[in-house]
Amino acid sequence: MRVLVTGMGGELGTRVSQLLEEHPEVTEITGVDIVPPRRRLRRAGFARIDPADRERLAAYVTEFAPDALVHFGVYEPHSRLVPRQAAVRTHQFTVTALGAAARTGRLERVAVRSGLVVYGRGRGRPAVPDETVPVAPTTLYGRMCLEVESLAVELGRRHGFPVAAIREAPVAGSHVPSPLGRVLRLPVVPVPACADPTFSLLHTEDAARAMVQAILVGYDGPLNVVGPGAASVWQAVRLGGRIPAPVVGPGWAVATRLAEVAGAPVPDHVLELLRRGRTADGSKAQAVLGLAGMRSTTEVCTEIFEWATVTPLRPPAAVAV
Amino acid sequence: MNATEGLRALPPFGIDTDRTGRLGPPLAALARRLQGRYPVDPFGGDPQLQDALAPLVEAAVRVEVDHPERLPERGSALLVANRGFGILEPAVLATAVRRAVGRRLRIVGAPEAPVVGDLVRKLGAVAAYPTDLAAVLRAGHLAAVPLGPTWLRAGAGTPPIGLLRAALDVRVLPVAVRPGGPLGLPLRPFRVRVGRPLARRVPRGSTDPLAAAELGEAARDAVQALLDGADP
Repeated sequence: MRVLVTGMGGELGTRVSQLLEEHPEVTEITGVDIVPPRRRLRRAGFARIDPADRERLAAYVTEFAPDALVHFGVYEPHSRLVPRQAAVRTHQFTVTALGAAARTGRLERVAVRSGLVVYGRGRGRPAVPDETVPVAPTTLYGRMCLEVESLAVELGRRHGFPVAAIREAPVAGSHVPSPLGRVLRLPVVPVPACADPTFSLLHTEDAARAMVQAILVGYDGPLNVVGPGAASVWQAVRLGGRIPAPVVGPGWAVATRLAEVAGAPVPDHVLELLRRGRTADGSKAQAVLGLAGMRSTTEVCTEIFEWATVTPLRPPAAVAV
Repeated sequence: MNATEGLRALPPFGIDTDRTGRLGPPLAALARRLQGRYPVDPFGGDPQLQDALAPLVEAAVRVEVDHPERLPERGSALLVANRGFGILEPAVLATAVRRAVGRRLRIVGAPEAPVVGDLVRKLGAVAAYPTDLAAVLRAGHLAAVPLGPTWLRAGAGTPPIGLLRAALDVRVLPVAVRPGGPLGLPLRPFRVRVGRPLARRVPRGSTDPLAAAELGEAARDAVQALLDGADP
């Protein structure tokens, strides 16, 4: 199987590529992104292509002619790019890479990154949606994910290949660039004064495993991938030893501005999570993809506040010449 | 061992989200609270807070339970019970279940109000959406759906057909909750009568609306019979 990984330069894209390298049925892997992979890859190739350069991207994808496409070219606003750039890059990557891959006629399966943000958190929405709940995004990132899902499903329907839409809970951790992680790591964190909403998180490793399994089994349809359990906003702040700053109504505009000045811009989907929470029922994905031993939300939440100890490497005592 | 390693060793902080437990020394419990070392479930339930408030509720609400052996000690099941206007019946039912089998009851019907909604969810309530009820039952919890409220708690109310569609797979038990005093006034201990499980007539995985309607009618009849003193 020849696998193309878009968004290979991100933490998740790199880890997915590493996991794919371990599978003998994956004969060839290549990736594209605007930044290089974060870790060493043994078998996978990589091309640094800006999706704005559509001709080059399309030519690269067409030449590779993948059997399977793992689409991580979905950029969370304020993760690595500002919201406008994230939306434009996501759209360009999705349209160009998926379109070029589908036109080769060799594409057999697709897995795309999406998020629980597609369910939205407007009034009258269930607190713990499963995959049967109609999507109604209420944020920019939610609409971006829904557009990616819709485009991929439409292409899959036309060309006859399955499309797995992996709706991830926010992926967080000490090394993962995440707007939610940056906000929670502030010394003083804005929290809702009159509510304590719950949210779920997902560990990078579990997110990568889910994507790899989805592409290997060729799953067709949406799947919620959520870390077991939940945390409340107030609890998360206390777990990190931070100071909760209760905020009401218009105070959120001031709080988000102050957070941005402090180096943690708050996109609307993170603000929505802080004010209304976000979780989902991930039992189907655990059963279908065999995701045993997933890390709980409180473990991931704890890891947000961890920083790995730096261990200096000692040079060998004697070096053979 | 640093603080975070200590947290990792104890997920979910030694507190069961389904079975009730003891709060432990108040100062230690308060310290855990301030450090965020307590579990929260995706439905907003806060087991540590429930364990802290349970003795107060049990002291305020007097309950006698008939046929407690019919309540399941583990696994998912749905109780369908009558109710009047107010929050007395849910509190009585949760206390009865806690006392009989030591489990937390997830009452369906949390309002979407800013402060009250969050508070009742922390105490174990779940929003009245079929998706949320289905998720609670899939997670192996014991849930309760109230019939429509009735004046003076005299009879079984309208069954919530939409919610029951999410429960066609699980055991459904009718439960009657009656205040001890005259005219439905809670002057003497409440009496909670647990009925026999209702027969399931549909295959697993079904969401047939007709089957849900039939289940609703069967539940209402069974609750009414329990209220009338029979044991169907």
